[in-house]
Amino acid sequence: MAHVLLRLARDRSALLGLILVVLVVLAAVLAPVISTHPEAVWDMNPANRLKPPSGEWLLGTDRMGADIYSRVIYGARITLLIAFVAVGTSLLIGVPIGLWAGWNDFWIGEALMRISDVFLAVPQIVLAIAIAQTLGPSIENVILALSVTYWPWFARLVYAEVRVLKNETFIEAAIALGVPQWRIVMQHVLPNVASPIIVRTSIGMGFTILTAASLGFLGLGAPPPAPEWGRMISESREFLPEAWWYALAPGLAIFAVVMGFNLLGDGLRDVLDPRLRRAHDR
Amino acid sequence: MRQKHRRALLASIAALGLASGIGLCKSDAVAQSGPSRFVFANESDYDTVDPHVAFDVGRVAVRLNVYDGLMRWQKNPAVLEPWVAESHTISSDGLTYTFKMRKGVKFHDGKEVNASDVVYSIERILALGKGAASLFKSMIASGSAKAVDDYTLEFKLTRPSAIFLAIVPEIHIVNSALVKKNEVNNDWGGAWLSKNSAGSGAYRITQFDPAIGFVAARNPDHFKGWGPKFLDEIEFRGVKDTNTRVLGLIKGDFNGIGGYLQTDQLKRLEASGNAKVLDAESMRVMMMQFNTTRTPLNDPDVRRALNQAFDYDGFNKNILGGLVERNPTPLPNTIWGNPKDVKGYSYDVEGAKALLAKAAVKIDRPLEIHFLTGFAQSEQAAQLYQNGLSKIGVQSRVIGTPWPTIVERFGKPETTPDISVYWISTYYADPHNWIGEMFHSSNAGTFKNAHHYKNPKVDELLDKAVQSTDQATRAKLYEEAVRIVVADAPGLWIYNTKWYGPYSKKLQGVVFCPIGNAQEMRTAYYE
Amino acid sequence: MRILALIAKRLLWFVPTAAGLIAVVFFISRVIPSDPVALLAGETASRESIEALRTKLGLDRPLLVQLFDYYRQLLQGDLGTSLFTTRPVSEDLLARLPATIELTLAAMLIAVVVGVPLGVISATRRNSPLDHVLRILTVGGLAIASFWLALILQLTFAMKLGILPLQGRITGFPPPAVTGFMTIDALLAGRWDRFTSALAHLTLPAVTLAVPALATVVRFTRAGVLDTLGKSFVVYQDAIGIPHSLIVWKYVLRNALTSTVTQIGLLFGILLAGAVVIETVFQWPGIGTYAFEAILQSDYAGVMGFTVYAGGIFMLANLLVDIAHGIIDPRGGRT
Repeated sequence: MAHVLLRLARDRSALLGLILVVLVVLAAVLAPVISTHPEAVWDMNPANRLKPPSGEWLLGTDRMGADIYSRVIYGARITLLIAFVAVGTSLLIGVPIGLWAGWNDFWIGEALMRISDVFLAVPQIVLAIAIAQTLGPSIENVILALSVTYWPWFARLVYAEVRVLKNETFIEAAIALGVPQWRIVMQHVLPNVASPIIVRTSIGMGFTILTAASLGFLGLGAPPPAPEWGRMISESREFLPEAWWYALAPGLAIFAVVMGFNLLGDGLRDVLDPRLRRAHDR
Repeated sequence: MRQKHRRALLASIAALGLASGIGLCKSDAVAQSGPSRFVFANESDYDTVDPHVAFDVGRVAVRLNVYDGLMRWQKNPAVLEPWVAESHTISSDGLTYTFKMRKGVKFHDGKEVNASDVVYSIERILALGKGAASLFKSMIASGSAKAVDDYTLEFKLTRPSAIFLAIVPEIHIVNSALVKKNEVNNDWGGAWLSKNSAGSGAYRITQFDPAIGFVAARNPDHFKGWGPKFLDEIEFRGVKDTNTRVLGLIKGDFNGIGGYLQTDQLKRLEASGNAKVLDAESMRVMMMQFNTTRTPLNDPDVRRALNQAFDYDGFNKNILGGLVERNPTPLPNTIWGNPKDVKGYSYDVEGAKALLAKAAVKIDRPLEIHFLTGFAQSEQAAQLYQNGLSKIGVQSRVIGTPWPTIVERFGKPETTPDISVYWISTYYADPHNWIGEMFHSSNAGTFKNAHHYKNPKVDELLDKAVQSTDQATRAKLYEEAVRIVVADAPGLWIYNTKWYGPYSKKLQGVVFCPIGNAQEMRTAYYE
Repeated sequence: MRILALIAKRLLWFVPTAAGLIAVVFFISRVIPSDPVALLAGETASRESIEALRTKLGLDRPLLVQLFDYYRQLLQGDLGTSLFTTRPVSEDLLARLPATIELTLAAMLIAVVVGVPLGVISATRRNSPLDHVLRILTVGGLAIASFWLALILQLTFAMKLGILPLQGRITGFPPPAVTGFMTIDALLAGRWDRFTSALAHLTLPAVTLAVPALATVVRFTRAGVLDTLGKSFVVYQDAIGIPHSLIVWKYVLRNALTSTVTQIGLLFGILLAGAVVIETVFQWPGIGTYAFEAILQSDYAGVMGFTVYAGGIFMLANLLVDIAHGIIDPRGGRT
């Protein structure tokens, strides 16, 4: 583990990614401390609406008079919450399924892979829109929609890896020696699958954040007055080009976070398993 | 690929891009082809041009320009004027309406407009069951319209109604011979008329694409005649994005756009030098309707408290930049029948809290405020209200719902939202359009009535008012009804809006009427 | 023949996957708690007329019955009738498909034409400052929210500078439809003004859509080229004195293009996904906007139709790519 981190630290872009991610997480955690108008995130004063950036309103105010800088900071909480829980859930669903289907030859495993093909057949956002629209706009529903549509990526990944591993000599040897299957899976298969899973998790975070923001932009994310970044960008459209600051801030925030996770993911991939460099890039 | 070739390729791509950018500015000017062409960018799409299917304000341009009715609302304040009908009489029992039609009014294909065409039209409306059919069904039954002769027409109502005349303009007269020729499987020509026209109006449709809009050419033989200057061709397009419409007007791509804009956008238009913004008193009330059947909204004290939690001035003056006027009652300030002395409620956090404390029913759950998706103002009003409610200790959720969905939910009290934010426009210039349809118990669950309010006294007043034909009597009845309703607070009323009409600077002759929103282009011309 | 076997295998896989997809979406769309029948019946309709219309349209029967009816319909090529436009969904989608394809192809073109050369350069000048810049840019390209990029481009080019249009496919009535691609149709009709208008309208959406695809192409090409450069036959040729540039342009490029062809299936997925949001932002009248509006209006047939269409197109594209890859590189043992 330590040598991984050391090698990671030598990769400048991965380091940049790590720093960005840490910064955003810190911002989310320390939101009440570093925001200038914490009350203004939830309390509106129309008299202050659409003010340009100034000493008092660092990034200007929005259409209801709330401070955009503070809203962006608090918005990080929502974004990170959605991303961590959605990706985490996908992982918890997808990895076991992939393991089980890859290891065993039951038809159910094949069927599960076919089902995951269904979810991979249509762009994630289309299904996510349908689900989020059905259930109604809320953070929980966004997380649900994203988890339900992302687990196939983990499942497929793990399935493919397990299938390859099964044919490796040392695994065959272990089976022949009578080692219980679950122990083989836990002690030999899982560690080998860990690398691609970790890489996909990091990349998946970035991807999930973008999809969640898109849902927010389309009006299917967390409802007002939640300071969700995608929704803020959507609100700003009417007031362009005069209130240019309205659209800039949340967009840059999204960019920074996703960039961070992507750089980190790339770095992890280079460090953990160079042969993965040519694998699927999503 | 060699280095050189790649550079050349990139250069040519860039050049092409630049050329097309420059070409764009010229190409759209060419597309306008001359000063007597008018292009209007509308908020909603024109997905059908069948006048009997769409009743809403969004698609009124088709009905007004391509078709004629027996009567038509004109001017501001709106007045009902004879149109294809020269005169009418009403029997003493109020059940028989006889119209005498003009001679010599012709459809676009040359055939004369006769009473039988009007009979076909009303039967068609009732049979299709869409658009204004529901309103008519409450007054006339199928088969009750009769063509006495070619130019005389008789309607027999099922009960007397003061508003029948007011909605007669919605009987758009279609060319029965032409439509019948295109009927397929008893569809009353529905499939054909959704894409074609069979009217007699000032313009006839020459091009139509539901994804774009329609183009109509002037009908020189229109019975109303033409002045020395006019528009040769009018085009109405659906352009859903506000910024596109605003920019388009400034650039000259459009000559007129819908006026429900933000203050900043109206100011930008005025300052552009290319556009002007007309304005007029109008009647379109923005309001919130409470579902009075559901706890805690079934308690009048609670509702009165809720009325004091909305920051009216913050909304009207700050968010809408003072472009609208506070309207404390369900009737527009400007219409007869509205009592002038009712002050209504104002934003009073302490007062609201006191009322809530006193109320018999307590609020123990978050309330749901539904706004209309696509209508930014309603979303902002909902958010502002959520804010105000939190100040008086009431939690709430803001939920966007598309118009058709929310209308469906109004159907039953169980599915009606707690609080719904929307507008009621002028479908016909009569108080019944608002207070009648909003608060009569028999109307509960229609698109104007999410209150499900039942008050026998109010019902009685409204019934009498509809059946009387004397305006002075009716006015008094409506005024009393308004007083009762405001005291009972089944909803809250925010503003009555002025009408704003952004047009090209050189467009003249635009006449505004609250029914039709100035989309009748017959009188307009370029100077 | 291997190719026939490949096609057969893919088709066999296609059918149950498609059926599963349809079933999933069917159940999702039927659960949407709103009623489009009310809209059809008109704003002022009564409950009775709404219910009558619902029975007339057959929407009151049990869900499974409706699903199998839908399967039967699909086999006859009928995607149902949109409850709103009252036109068959297949007609609606077919009418809108060319717009999406035009946009997708334009974006794909930009991505490949600009991306492949950049990828090659990045690889051949590995670890140079240029390479580093390109690598950062590609990561950045994948990190930008497409709708935000769209907005910024609109803000800059359409609002502030005013040199490109804000939205839509064309200003005014389009040229007579021959291919459905307005740019080509305008040229066919000889209308230069229509062509420039269509091209100008196409620019911003295509560029926005192309960005993630472009980034992906650069990354993959770079990786592919690096891979090839490391291969023994290249090292050998370098060693025996064949000019380096010749090696690059003749062998490496061919392999790079091969890997690009393989990635087209992936690209297509990226572009199709991006199209839904970008079409909505630019009001581009393609199947993406259709999908979003269908969902908002609970147009069951529309939602289903779009998903079947999108899924079908995506699977078809992958099939074609697999075949193409099988032809170009028979050595590649892809299952």
